[in-house]
Amino acid sequence: MFSQASHNSRLTPVEPAAGSTELLARISELIEDLSPDRVDLLKAFHRIQHEFGYVPREAVPLLAGKFRTTPAIIFGTIDFYSELRMAPAAETTVDWCSGPACLLKGSLNIRRALEATFECEMNRTSADGRFGLRLVQCDGTCHLAPLVRHHGRYIGPLTVSESIEWARRLTGDDRRAPPEDGARPAADEASPELAEPVEAE
Amino acid sequence: MTLPRYEEMWHRADDAWARAARPARTLIKVGVATCSRVVGAEETLSALRREVEARGLDADFMVTGCLGLCYAEPLVEVVRPNAPGVLYQSVTADKVASLLEAVAAGGIAREYALAVIGDRESGGLPALNSLEFVLGQVRRLMANCGVTDPENIDHYVARGGYEGLVRALQMKPVNVIDEVKKSGLWGRGGAAFSTGLKWEFLYNAKRQPKYLICNADEGDPGSFVNRNLMESDPQLLVEGMVIAGYATDAQQGYIYIRDEYPLPVERMELAVQQARERGLVGENILGSNFSFELEVVRGAGSYVCGDETGLLSSLEDRRGMPKIKPPFPAQAGVFAMPSNINNVESYTNVPLIMRHGADWWAEMGSEKHKGTKMFSLSGQVQRVGIVEVPLGTSTSDVVMRMGGGPPEGRKLKAVQPGGPLSGVVPASDVDIPLEPDPYRERGVLMGSGGLVILDDTNCIVDLCIYFEWFAEDESCGRCTTCFAGTRRMLEILRRISSGRGRLADLELIKLLGSIAQNANCFHGQGAPTAVMSMFRFFEDELLEHVERKRCPAKVCRGLVRYEVVHYSDRLPAAEAICPTNAVVRDNGTYRIDQLKCIKCDACREQAPYAIAVVDEFQPAATTLTR
Repeated sequence: MFSQASHNSRLTPVEPAAGSTELLARISELIEDLSPDRVDLLKAFHRIQHEFGYVPREAVPLLAGKFRTTPAIIFGTIDFYSELRMAPAAETTVDWCSGPACLLKGSLNIRRALEATFECEMNRTSADGRFGLRLVQCDGTCHLAPLVRHHGRYIGPLTVSESIEWARRLTGDDRRAPPEDGARPAADEASPELAEPVEAE
Repeated sequence: MTLPRYEEMWHRADDAWARAARPARTLIKVGVATCSRVVGAEETLSALRREVEARGLDADFMVTGCLGLCYAEPLVEVVRPNAPGVLYQSVTADKVASLLEAVAAGGIAREYALAVIGDRESGGLPALNSLEFVLGQVRRLMANCGVTDPENIDHYVARGGYEGLVRALQMKPVNVIDEVKKSGLWGRGGAAFSTGLKWEFLYNAKRQPKYLICNADEGDPGSFVNRNLMESDPQLLVEGMVIAGYATDAQQGYIYIRDEYPLPVERMELAVQQARERGLVGENILGSNFSFELEVVRGAGSYVCGDETGLLSSLEDRRGMPKIKPPFPAQAGVFAMPSNINNVESYTNVPLIMRHGADWWAEMGSEKHKGTKMFSLSGQVQRVGIVEVPLGTSTSDVVMRMGGGPPEGRKLKAVQPGGPLSGVVPASDVDIPLEPDPYRERGVLMGSGGLVILDDTNCIVDLCIYFEWFAEDESCGRCTTCFAGTRRMLEILRRISSGRGRLADLELIKLLGSIAQNANCFHGQGAPTAVMSMFRFFEDELLEHVERKRCPAKVCRGLVRYEVVHYSDRLPAAEAICPTNAVVRDNGTYRIDQLKCIKCDACREQAPYAIAVVDEFQPAATTLTR
């Protein structure tokens, strides 16, 4: 289906689809110096996503023309890679690390808590479009496990309570934070220490 | 043949390195790599610069890579003239002022000091090489990591860099391959195939152009050794690939780095550019008649692109779906031309072999497997980081001593040696040497070296669900045995973890596991490995889930329930934290609304005495307050 032959066959470039002229012009400008068979398609995606925050639908026919292939193959390629998206991300997107180190330290609990607090499922956007949760792969910052990322900031190691409080601050939920230690009965000494999470800009 | 251009370059580099190695005034080295950046190393660096200027101190700055001590980041090293450097740990920006206070007074900031660089203790501080984490490590690949400036090619050259290339260029390509074969270097990516032999296949291929590809798509979650090499010593990879290009008669190289690694992409691109400016990459390298081009390619987030043929498809501007072998890449690889694909660690060993000779290189390691190997430690381990040890070192030495084992009061349960497709070995086997064979005997693959450690709070079924989910999520969709097989496996495992498991499921899983062997690439074939290890080593725990509907570690969500078992003053806090309002107050007593509860554990964190996790399918009377 995706054989070398069909990929390399020199097809007539497809007519660009409708879209604002500026958008199309900007995309053409971005991919101007790229050419087929020089490992440039990924570069094209990255440039476009860097510029717009996602790969607009209008880019697909333009890329197909540039790389001498069909829009279906371009679309399939975008669809294949998890870091490429075809719709803008929510205003506030929280990246939840799915890696094993985070998992072993209880990241699934954090996932459930975040999904409930943002009222939003993983890889979806909340009903009001303000919040998004995105599942990301491990990038080896496991000394912070379990962690979430928010606008390039890594937050961890998190307890479930900390993640809920943090998410509530983002949503503007002014519910009182749990009472401070003072009145804790002696029987509760076994409670885990609430370590301060490391927050890096 | 002499290479005057190299001589000249070395002298210039040596001057630059001398300023860092033997500073005339105080030198402050800050490790900036992915692991330290996420805990604020860049803020530390700018705070240090501000503070040094404000105090009018006489000091220089240098950015280095990562020493591998990820647990102690951000690391700052203060080197005074004619004294060993002092390493400070966890220096976040807020600690900079008090650190510099002590340094300005000519002393050591004891509360942050970790060790002194070198082998000998000094000023009451232990030597870096005597720390539990470092003792026993043999740092060959990592010799420059955390020591030199990764963005300065001079530091690399002055410390013996490109000597291996010079030596290789004076030999015939066949002899270079022979030297690599003699060393016994095998591919470090997991397949453990002889690197020299692989190069010979490419050398013998007749057609041109030939391509050389570096697989830096380190997709295995929990594995980050390649990342450290690329961001702490990128020139080592450049040199390794140029030597490989010379040996195999290739003209074009690609370094394919995963999208999740922005800093390695940045540093590799800079390294290639610097090497090109020095005539170490490009036309007529070092005045010889050998030319080699190198390009960094950034992936876009796909695990199967780490499979060699998947990577080839990705380079060909298509979906990164693994191809059917044969033809093997050496005959028809990228763009249907002869190609060779190696892992980052395989290429980076080559400059060392060429610089010091195969015999020196083979001194380290076990009888069958030579050399050193880097391992990353993560999961339930006290010291998360990267170690480099000779192959054949016992697993427990690395996990229990260097890593410090699981946190206080917990017991080691299992070790997952390298990636989600590798399987797990139980704690009883933790003394086996770290090399492929002992692992293979246990049906486990040593893989690329990302050790993930499990302790007794972790559930093996839960972990297998993760592995199967990962395999299913990342399946390219070509083979039914893979994309449908993993999905079916996932459904069955989830059923078991939700308490609806039946004995027939066990046979079904085994059947799926054997069918998966028919998948085209290793992704599909390796998908059931972890589940098979579960059958082999943790059958009791699995049967407990299936027969008694009980999760011994109390992790599987369908098999546990949260209950208020005591009264405590912390219960209002638990009520406040619950994201679904499932902690309900009725006439002054509290209970958990099981229909609302999402089992996120937040309430138990707040009130650990009052709220307990109990087995869903056990009589609750044993735990409830009377």
